[in-house]
Amino acid sequence: MMPNKELQILLVEDNMSDAMLTIRALKKHNLANNLVHLYDGAQALDFLFGKGEYEGRNLAQKPKVIFLDLKMPKVDGLEVLRQLKADDSTKFIPVVMMTSSKEEKDIVESHRFGVNSYIVKPVDFENFSKTVADLGFYWLLVNQTPRE
Amino acid sequence: MTALELSEKALEAKDEEKNEIAVKLAKAVKELSFQIEEKEKRTLELEEVNKELESFSYSVSHDLRAPLRAISGFSEVLAEDYIGQLDEEAKILFSEIIRNARKMGELIDNLLEFSRLSKQDIFRGSINMNEIVGNIVTEMTKLEPERKIDISLMELPEVEGDKNMLKQLFFNLISNAFKYTGKRENASIEIGSYSRKRDQVFYVKDNGAGFDPRYYDKLFGVFQRLHSSIEFDGTGVGLAIVQKIATKHGGEVWAEAKVDEGACFYVSLPVKIKKTNDAE
Repeated sequence: MMPNKELQILLVEDNMSDAMLTIRALKKHNLANNLVHLYDGAQALDFLFGKGEYEGRNLAQKPKVIFLDLKMPKVDGLEVLRQLKADDSTKFIPVVMMTSSKEEKDIVESHRFGVNSYIVKPVDFENFSKTVADLGFYWLLVNQTPRE
Repeated sequence: MTALELSEKALEAKDEEKNEIAVKLAKAVKELSFQIEEKEKRTLELEEVNKELESFSYSVSHDLRAPLRAISGFSEVLAEDYIGQLDEEAKILFSEIIRNARKMGELIDNLLEFSRLSKQDIFRGSINMNEIVGNIVTEMTKLEPERKIDISLMELPEVEGDKNMLKQLFFNLISNAFKYTGKRENASIEIGSYSRKRDQVFYVKDNGAGFDPRYYDKLFGVFQRLHSSIEFDGTGVGLAIVQKIATKHGGEVWAEAKVDEGACFYVSLPVKIKKTNDAE
């Protein structure tokens, strides 16, 4: 085991601005050392299940947490979440849904599929940075997940 | 004519009259059922349009948030990383961008909140108004500990309603009272209630800036303001939310005021709310 090379955060976000701001907020607190950024749900599923462009990827390398955008082209966050939580090999990976939507339907659906946390991205950058940093601290340093 | 013939004739005439009336009645019934049908159609159409509008305002405000976050975010990042290279003028310009982005964020959030309210059902329960109002007053006082405000809080009756919505309603009214007395040396706020036939009337009265009664019809409108944001900051959604929540409960809102002599806002809430008020 090489803990330093361990994949820590998988960020699935199609909005480049949001992704840049998220990564910046994490970097500021030294939480973005082992972060992988993917751009949509289809790519995320390929990555997590070792398909398509990620065929042959070492699947034992699981992220400690997935920051998942809800609204994405092709495969949306809800579908990614559903497939992850339905599969024994990925169901223990904590998933934080990050979205602009406080829509009750989205919140209920996400929880029904077993989301670990649901965050509405604050518009205000100060709050946004703080929220992202808090999430990083909590899921990387505080939270404990079953080994398998 | 014999008496018999006469009475037969009279009967015949009555029958004819009856038939005439029956025809008229049938016509009227037909017309009425047509009108009812039309009305139902119209109602359906209106409901449809209403739903469309709601989802439109929802998705607009939702999709507006992402670019806004980018504007405010990158401005702050730029200011943070390059602050040393900026002169005073540039710093002021930056703070204007950030301030406006924040303001737009507030507008969007309030609009979202307003549109969400339309869709929301009422969770009915018995509400301890003393607790709700007391908590809001404590919270507001904590936010401005340096201010001297004479607050008189009457004992309030219980009502039936949705706790979260009523919290929001009274938060909006009370925070307005705090806001619009902000320039008063001796601010005073009075919160009380009285009962009418089938409802309880609650009021929040202050000695603040008041408003010009000539513009009363705009008071509860969305994005309508009766003060400039230089005088008093705000988005113009608070009182629209107050009215919406009161209406959802089968109640009403109204207000009295004079410029510079304070305002009093009233909300009537039925003692028991009707089931039909659940959804609009």
